[in-house]
Amino acid sequence: MSQNIAYDVALVGASPSNLTLAHRLVDLAQGPIRIAILEKGKSVGAHLLSGAVSNPRVLNKVFPNWKEDETFPLEGICKESYVTFMGAEKVEDAPRFAVPPHFKKEGYAILSVSDLAAWMADRLTEKAAAKEGVVVDIYPTFPAKEIIYKGDAVVGVRVDSTGDNAKDILHAKVTVFGDKGFVSRDLCDKFALRKNPQVWGVGVKEIWETEESYEGKVWHTAGYPAQPGLYGGGFIYGCKHNKLIVGYVCALDNDNPNLEPPQLLQDLKKSPWVQKMLKGGKLMRYGAAVLPEGGYYSLPEKFAVAGAMMVGDALGTLDIKRFSGVDKAMESGWIAAEVIADALAKGDTSEAALAPYKAKVMDSFIGKELFEARYFKQTFHTYPEILNDAFPAFAAGVDAGRGLFGGALAFGLSGPFRALKLLGARGMMENPSDRGAVAYKEDRTYPNPAYKKPEGAKAEGYDRKTVFTTADIVYYAHTHYEEGVQHIDEFDKNVCYSCINRYEGAGKRPPCVGDCTAEVHEVMEINGKRTHKMAFENCVQCTTCEIVCPPKNLRVNAAPYGSGPDFSNM
Amino acid sequence: MSGYKMVVLMKQVPDTSSKAGVNPDGTVDRARAKRMMNPFDKYALQKALEVKKAHGGEITVVSMGPPPALEIVVEALEYGADKGILLSDKRLAASDTLSTAYALHMVVKHVGKVDMVFTGLQTTDGDTAQTGPQIAERLDMPQVTYLEKLEVKDGVATMQRVVEGGHQTLEVPLPCLVTVANSAARLEPKRFADVFAVKELIRDKAAYDKKVTILDLDVVGANPDRAGLKGSPTVVGKTWKMGEIGGSCTMFEGGNAKDEVAELVGKLTADHGAILEEVLP
Ligand SMILES: Cc1cc2nc3c(=O)[nH]c(=O)nc-3n(C[C@H](O)[C@H](O)[C@H](O)COP(=O)(O)OP(=O)(O)OC[C@H]3O[C@@H](n4cnc5c(N)ncnc54)[C@H](O)[C@@H]3O)c2cc1C
Ligand SMILES: Cc1cc2nc3c(=O)[nH]c(=O)nc-3n(C[C@H](O)[C@H](O)[C@H](O)COP(=O)(O)OP(=O)(O)OC[C@H]3O[C@@H](n4cnc5c(N)ncnc54)[C@H](O)[C@@H]3O)c2cc1C
Ligand code: SF4
Ligand code: SF4
Repeated sequence: MSQNIAYDVALVGASPSNLTLAHRLVDLAQGPIRIAILEKGKSVGAHLLSGAVSNPRVLNKVFPNWKEDETFPLEGICKESYVTFMGAEKVEDAPRFAVPPHFKKEGYAILSVSDLAAWMADRLTEKAAAKEGVVVDIYPTFPAKEIIYKGDAVVGVRVDSTGDNAKDILHAKVTVFGDKGFVSRDLCDKFALRKNPQVWGVGVKEIWETEESYEGKVWHTAGYPAQPGLYGGGFIYGCKHNKLIVGYVCALDNDNPNLEPPQLLQDLKKSPWVQKMLKGGKLMRYGAAVLPEGGYYSLPEKFAVAGAMMVGDALGTLDIKRFSGVDKAMESGWIAAEVIADALAKGDTSEAALAPYKAKVMDSFIGKELFEARYFKQTFHTYPEILNDAFPAFAAGVDAGRGLFGGALAFGLSGPFRALKLLGARGMMENPSDRGAVAYKEDRTYPNPAYKKPEGAKAEGYDRKTVFTTADIVYYAHTHYEEGVQHIDEFDKNVCYSCINRYEGAGKRPPCVGDCTAEVHEVMEINGKRTHKMAFENCVQCTTCEIVCPPKNLRVNAAPYGSGPDFSNM
Repeated sequence: MSGYKMVVLMKQVPDTSSKAGVNPDGTVDRARAKRMMNPFDKYALQKALEVKKAHGGEITVVSMGPPPALEIVVEALEYGADKGILLSDKRLAASDTLSTAYALHMVVKHVGKVDMVFTGLQTTDGDTAQTGPQIAERLDMPQVTYLEKLEVKDGVATMQRVVEGGHQTLEVPLPCLVTVANSAARLEPKRFADVFAVKELIRDKAAYDKKVTILDLDVVGANPDRAGLKGSPTVVGKTWKMGEIGGSCTMFEGGNAKDEVAELVGKLTADHGAILEEVLP
């Protein structure tokens, strides 16, 4: 019988959080240590997509010389940042005094998180090779499939399926999940760790090569193209070498069963303001990923169980109020490394030994900022008029030339009660007094067949060459699937039949079709029956379809053999 | 030892999906270019792995190239090969297929008695498809090109090869050399345990040196005058650029097929009208 495949630490996902963890752990190592990193992408970063404008506070700790290092994949440093209100025709920047401090991004790094991870992995390999007894093995194309327990302790993950456990299982004293939930959701389910569900947003992103350079400029937008009621906003980041990032993020706890995220982004690009930037430009890349938006109240009860921990988006450290995910993910890895180093030194990786992790995270800027932002997400549910009335009124004000202020004024004048509400909402977001815990509903409970899409303003006169159908845009995600890979499970086809009936009966498509970011799902007539089908080879593995499937009838698994998109540079 | 002794010839080539290292004149700067295993050679490796799975044996991967080519030798071990040899020697620079086949056949001889030699159909850079057959001649082995399927029994191989318009079945006595078609079975993905084992092997120098060796011309007993530039009568007269790798994608969205086709024809005539005039009657 062959020996088990064993390491001290197994990291699931070559993510910013886990790579920070590995760097810190190697730095802290005083003797031999063995670390394995599993990554489902064909290379590190291939399945990583972000904005990203990021506070470099953790980068500074891990790589004190990153600014001077010529190999560091920096896209730019933010020199000017704006919060911009968009109408369909015109836009207006919020006056500087009205921009919340956390949306002043000057001095922040503009990053491709995909390239950052690839770079961190290279530095990590070098660092490990230079330190006696330190082993860091990175396994691209090998996703973790299943968590392996001994009693209630996690002892590793299943990687392969030859049928011989000695060949298939990666054993570790501590397994850390920085996998955005791909497998760690099973951990949360098994131990009922999340009393409140995680709630998600989806982000779509394109990279353009433009005629003019916008290097160092950062815009976050509200208003158009969001329909009334949609919590969504655009981001436009100017990078080096005339690269322009254009993206759109929207929440999935929305009544509209057919959000069509890629088309929201196309609509954003139709705005004359964006058109001007894209003029003469060329689309280079497309991709999508989800963001855990629940924040403080979605955090699990425990951040670690015996033999396992969660970091980054898998844990839920993203702060949607500040649009800060990268720095918080990295910080969680930094802290986890210190706890693991202690635990390994003591030879104790029990739940109690790993428990200090939670206290340390909550004591760091992660916990403090998430606490301060704890009601942000809920505000839009408590005050639906913000998205239903106020934002559309602002947008109309911008388009009508009355300005943002004019729009706000008109909104306020339409009833003092409404103005008061707006102030209440602002208080809840910015300076909250305690109003007790928030209970979220799962995103999948929102899509409503009876939803009526309100007529919103439409941008006119755009260049058709700058907008794409979803079927065409997927080409720019460079997906590649090994023959025969079918990584999304549909559990019960009868459940789909009735779901399709429900949504099509109301003139809609089922949510999996209407919210997919890559035209994977479709409904086809098969033997006289409207049937759910999937074109797996398009999938960018964002998991949106699983999140919005009302009867929980889908599961998106980590695809084997490096199958999936190529998000390098994203 | 039971089973068959096999050699698979594999070449490292520039990564064709990457533009890095392609000089403006279309030639390749091999130092800057990204590198990969010649995709055709993966079919050859798969065939050897199939034989090993069915009958046991030992697979030695042989490559000739500069030191970075060791990457594909090690990668072949991750796919399940047993041993690797890199023939690397400054005197091999500027080899054409004649001298490449000479040098490689000396390596095969150095390996000892072998039952089967597998090569790819061709490479994605040199593209000549000459190396395999030349080696077979030099080794005085029967050769079968365009192999798709293979079964061996009692020293005889039954093979199916692709021919124009169909297939041909042959029986060939061992030892023999085959070049494997790219319509044969695809190389199966690496297994986790094999990749793990190779990572451990690299850290165990003594064990590694037993499995992976870098040889030069002297060790394999090759005559340096028949290798590299000296042994290569081929002269490259001229290279020219046929077009770009990649390029851009234009979507024609006239709203209906008729307008879209009109738009497409309009653009083609505008951009390439001269060529159209030449080829159209
Ligand atoms: C469109 C968009 C824009 C954003 N913009 C910003 C921004 O401007 N600023 C900011 O700070 N944050 C931004 N974020 C958030 C930020 O990207 C995330 O918070 C951050 O990437 C989280 O990092 P993580 O370490 O949790 O890893 P993740 O990003 O969650 O990466 C998970 C990794 O694990 C791998 N993986 C998953 N499952 C498995 C498995 N089973 N086996 C092996 N590997 C697996 C994946 O392939 C991936 O590499 C944005 C996010 C999106 C989607
Ligand atoms: C006109 C011409 C000019 C050339 N100019 C140069 C030059 O300037 N500089 C230079 O360095 N080379 C030059 N070459 C050399 C060329 O790259 C070699 O001949 C090459 O190693 C073999 O030819 P091929 O790539 O066409 O292989 P093919 O004959 O197409 O390959 C068939 C199979 O043989 C095996 N094989 C081929 N090459 C190797 C290898 N190196 N190691 C292991 N297995 C192998 C593989 O299994 C492969 O699938 C030239 C060749 C030609 C024909
Ligand atoms: S997968 Fe889910 S959303 Fe799609 S048709 Fe089936 S049940 Fe409905
Ligand atoms: S099928 Fe699901 S996971 Fe794949 S791209 Fe569509 S929404 Fe995302």
